[in-house]
Amino acid sequence: MLPVSLTVALFLAGSVRDAAPVAAPAPIPADPAAVQAAIREPGASAVLVNVWATWCAPCREEFPDLLHVAREFKRAGLRTVLVSSDFEAGDGPQKFLSEQGVDFETYIKTGKDEEFINSLSTDWSGALPATFVYDAQGRLVRFWEGKASYPIMKKRVQEALARKEKP
Amino acid sequence: MTRKLPFVLPLLLAAPLAYAGPLAIGSAIPSADVKMKNVDGKELSLTDVKGSAGTLVVFTCNHCPFAKGWESRIVDLGNSYQAKGIGVVAVNANDPAVAAEDGYDGMVARAKEKGFAFPYVVDASSGVAKAFGATRTPEVFLFDKAGKLVYHGAVDDNMQDPAKVENAYLKDALEAVAGGKPVPVAETKSIGCSIKFRS
Repeated sequence: MLPVSLTVALFLAGSVRDAAPVAAPAPIPADPAAVQAAIREPGASAVLVNVWATWCAPCREEFPDLLHVAREFKRAGLRTVLVSSDFEAGDGPQKFLSEQGVDFETYIKTGKDEEFINSLSTDWSGALPATFVYDAQGRLVRFWEGKASYPIMKKRVQEALARKEKP
Repeated sequence: MTRKLPFVLPLLLAAPLAYAGPLAIGSAIPSADVKMKNVDGKELSLTDVKGSAGTLVVFTCNHCPFAKGWESRIVDLGNSYQAKGIGVVAVNANDPAVAAEDGYDGMVARAKEKGFAFPYVVDASSGVAKAFGATRTPEVFLFDKAGKLVYHGAVDDNMQDPAKVENAYLKDALEAVAGGKPVPVAETKSIGCSIKFRS
């Protein structure tokens, strides 16, 4: 049996990390140019891009960690661009985003895979999830395929933010 | 300089484990003699599968929506080009501990249900997929008659709707290889599920 104070502390820690469900905006259909525009819109100190899908188990698994990082560094100027590559019509992506507490605009990929993949990185094979970190100048600092943990994502975002003063 | 060695050495030792990118066009079939269990219970290597006109290796699995979306096309192409002298094999490198549907029994059922006329084998260590530099399902590698990689990538450019395919990359490559001609496009990409490598 956990002491009451510890139980409360664990509950509070959990509630800081996991935002309550919200009515997430429906993902905006976006071709590669629109995704690039969202990434390169001025004003961010760093940009975190994640390509995911509701059917992708590792994507769903890393989502809370991803959003934890997104929220933690939002005030430091981190912009988070989520791009769903779901292909079945329906409200699945929006429902998932709502459950995850995403209260900002996100995107859903349109158009051919190859152009989309190469517009983000020619080194990306197309495997999901895929995550990209850009610095304030829009330079791709980090890119990886597959699920990452909170400490790793945090470290990579911090690297990009640290480059702000070093154009 | 020498003081740095203890730090450099572990990095060098770790290097072969790092992802080195996909197999380059022109490469020979890697891990060609690794035996893998087929859905008929027999052990097969890629050398055993080699065809007189070429060899098609498809990394796929049971659970992935993209693998399922392309599955019928993979089976149609595999079955018809196997009859034209291309050795064909589907390889499942996924750890069934991650997606239970990718277990051996599931593979046996899927091959039967979909009418695979070619082997569907278990890459039991995921080592064959790693040797190919494969990262996703489905991902195809086509070798010519001489055993050199001539095509790597996607089945075609529209997983969702076969009627809207504009570029049938794999079919075109198979047709070229079966006819002893150069393939029109050597490398393409598509979105897919990451391979669930065994750790």
